[in-house]
Amino acid sequence: MLDPVFMVWDGLPVAAQDALLFVLLLLPAVLVGLLVVLGFRPMTLVRAMMWRFKWTNLLFIALIAVSVGIGVGLIAQERGLRQGTARAADKFDLVVSAPGSEITMLFAAVYLQPSDVPLLTGAQYNAIANAENVALAAPIAFGDSYRSAPVVGTTADFVLHMTDELADGRLFEVHTDAVIGANVALALGDRFSPAHGVAGAADDSAHAHFEYEVVGRMQPTGSPWDKAILVPVEAVWEVHGLPNGHAPDDAGRIGPPFLAEQFPGTPAVLVRAEELWANYALRSQFTTDETMAFFPGAVLASLHGLMGDVREVMSVMAIVTQVLVTAGVLAGLVILTRLFARRLALLRALGAPRRFVFSVIWSYASVLIGSGAVLGIVVGLAATEAISRIVTARTDILVRSSLGWPELHLVAAFVSVTVVLALTPAFIALSRPVVTDLRG
Amino acid sequence: MGLALAISGLAVSGRDSRTLLAVPDLEVAPGSCVAVKGPSGAGKSTFLFACAGLAGTASGSIVWGDTDILALGIQKRAAFRRSAIGLVFQDFLLFEELSALANAALPGAFAPAGAQKAMRLRAASVLERLGIAPLGARTVESFSGGERQRVAIARALASDPDVILADEPTASLDRKAADALVDDLVRLARTDGKTLVAVSHDSAVHERADRVIEIIDGQIASDTTYA
Ligand SMILES: Nc1ncnc2c1ncn2[C@@H]1O[C@H](COP(=O)(O)OP(=O)(O)OP(=O)(O)O)[C@@H](O)[C@H]1O
Ligand SMILES: [Mg+2]
Repeated sequence: MLDPVFMVWDGLPVAAQDALLFVLLLLPAVLVGLLVVLGFRPMTLVRAMMWRFKWTNLLFIALIAVSVGIGVGLIAQERGLRQGTARAADKFDLVVSAPGSEITMLFAAVYLQPSDVPLLTGAQYNAIANAENVALAAPIAFGDSYRSAPVVGTTADFVLHMTDELADGRLFEVHTDAVIGANVALALGDRFSPAHGVAGAADDSAHAHFEYEVVGRMQPTGSPWDKAILVPVEAVWEVHGLPNGHAPDDAGRIGPPFLAEQFPGTPAVLVRAEELWANYALRSQFTTDETMAFFPGAVLASLHGLMGDVREVMSVMAIVTQVLVTAGVLAGLVILTRLFARRLALLRALGAPRRFVFSVIWSYASVLIGSGAVLGIVVGLAATEAISRIVTARTDILVRSSLGWPELHLVAAFVSVTVVLALTPAFIALSRPVVTDLRG
Repeated sequence: MGLALAISGLAVSGRDSRTLLAVPDLEVAPGSCVAVKGPSGAGKSTFLFACAGLAGTASGSIVWGDTDILALGIQKRAAFRRSAIGLVFQDFLLFEELSALANAALPGAFAPAGAQKAMRLRAASVLERLGIAPLGARTVESFSGGERQRVAIARALASDPDVILADEPTASLDRKAADALVDDLVRLARTDGKTLVAVSHDSAVHERADRVIEIIDGQIASDTTYA
């Protein structure tokens, strides 16, 4: 019987479904409100009640706001992290490396988290670079650093792949040129010596004889690459006293092709196919005993899937907190309405219909719940914004906070449930004897 | 014009089914000013609440005009109070956070849409007659006791009821304020022809009443009418 409804529903655009669901979730609250308030004007009294115990009322609103904020924040934060990490991995279509853990390699090659991994040989690199449909095969030779910035050896094409246009300066032309990420604290023309290793393990004196010069700066990418220094891969090899990928009589050359026998190795290669579909063929081609090929996006998706379970646990926790807060708020409302018992008895003594008194109590409760919920959205977003900034600062993965439909749905459901439950304190207040309350 | 009151066979009992008040027979002429006195705990408030149809368990009949309020259900009693009875209490029972006019026009909040404006105007005019600026934005929190009780009287009169029931209207006021208030209350009731029943141990009230009823131990002990 409901089939036609579902068919219409499925035919709607997603945004319309979300908006409709929001309205549907809020509908019980609105309907109950209309039924209770219709024909009366309780707001003057509600305002008086709000003022009467304003600190208690504010405390209630704050309590609701915090609980709603936790729910909103959890959902918004999780989405922000998911989108941020996905955006940061966006440019990495296919990564080929020596066999090992895809996740380790994802963290090392895409998010530039330091890690020791085996290398691909020159023959393997050339096999990748010369494979059919390969548009770009860039070595990603990480392992060195300057201060806290990772120094990554690669090719000029990779730089152009990461940043369509440089924000400043030019690409590298000689081995000592370096292009820096948007947030690296160096200026064009600065010179520096790389250290072997990264962070605490860095050995500053190791490469003191080698000096890079900053010649360009990339656009912001919203990824850890904003803190990275990109240099010609040849330089990384030379710094370590290794051959530089080219014949000794052609040592000044920069970029591919590389001679397999002069190629000291690279931990990872970023591969980009000419056509999207070709990525799949390339992945199976390089999934061998000696090489591992994976889509960072897919690895990330499965990581997110794992996070999805965590998220579910967290949402259950958020809902449980909200149920507890709801119960607390309802109990509090029963007590608060007792504080108003004499005033409410007065209304009934003056001849107010029961439904009017009911509407006053219910509206009062609903104002508390409604303002708490709205404030909760603000609290949740503010918390998400703050946490996102911290995460962005720590990881250089740009995490944006935003308000999405799932949060709004949660809040709408919360408001509807509590507002309907708020009928109970109203009933309880009405069941009190008028004269007893009047005598005070 | 005020309503006549005719009580017969009234018995009000408390929660423990003890009889708190027994009034076999009482008639009050429309438009008269009746004071009710008696010792503490005698049943005066019980009497007044019963007259307003607020007694929990009461038998007999309390007839205002031709309406026996004891025969009405809860909702109809409320409706009757709404239109015919104005109540004034010892401690005013105002909404402290509202202005004088908002308090006085309070019954308008649950009156039919058409009557709200008239009630507001009426409340404003009564406030004016009692010397309180109706348009003042001040909340009644800052009002003196006498001013508060005047606001309460304006609230009782906002719906232009035929009856005013007052329970110790001067008990929270000092002597001077009490005298002024009694003057105002009685004057308003008389000029508008309302029936006024005021429970009070204040002799200023007794002096201005047409009739003083004394209740002792839940019984009418004396009933004096002045010319
Ligand atoms: N709901 C009730 N159940 C039982 N007894 C009650 C109830 N309400 C009042 N009483 C008792 O009824 C008696 C009369 O009370 P009432 O308030 O009418 O006295 P009163 O004459 O107004 O006294 P006061 O001058 O102190 O206001 C008192 O003994 C009181 O304790
Ligand atoms: Mg009393």
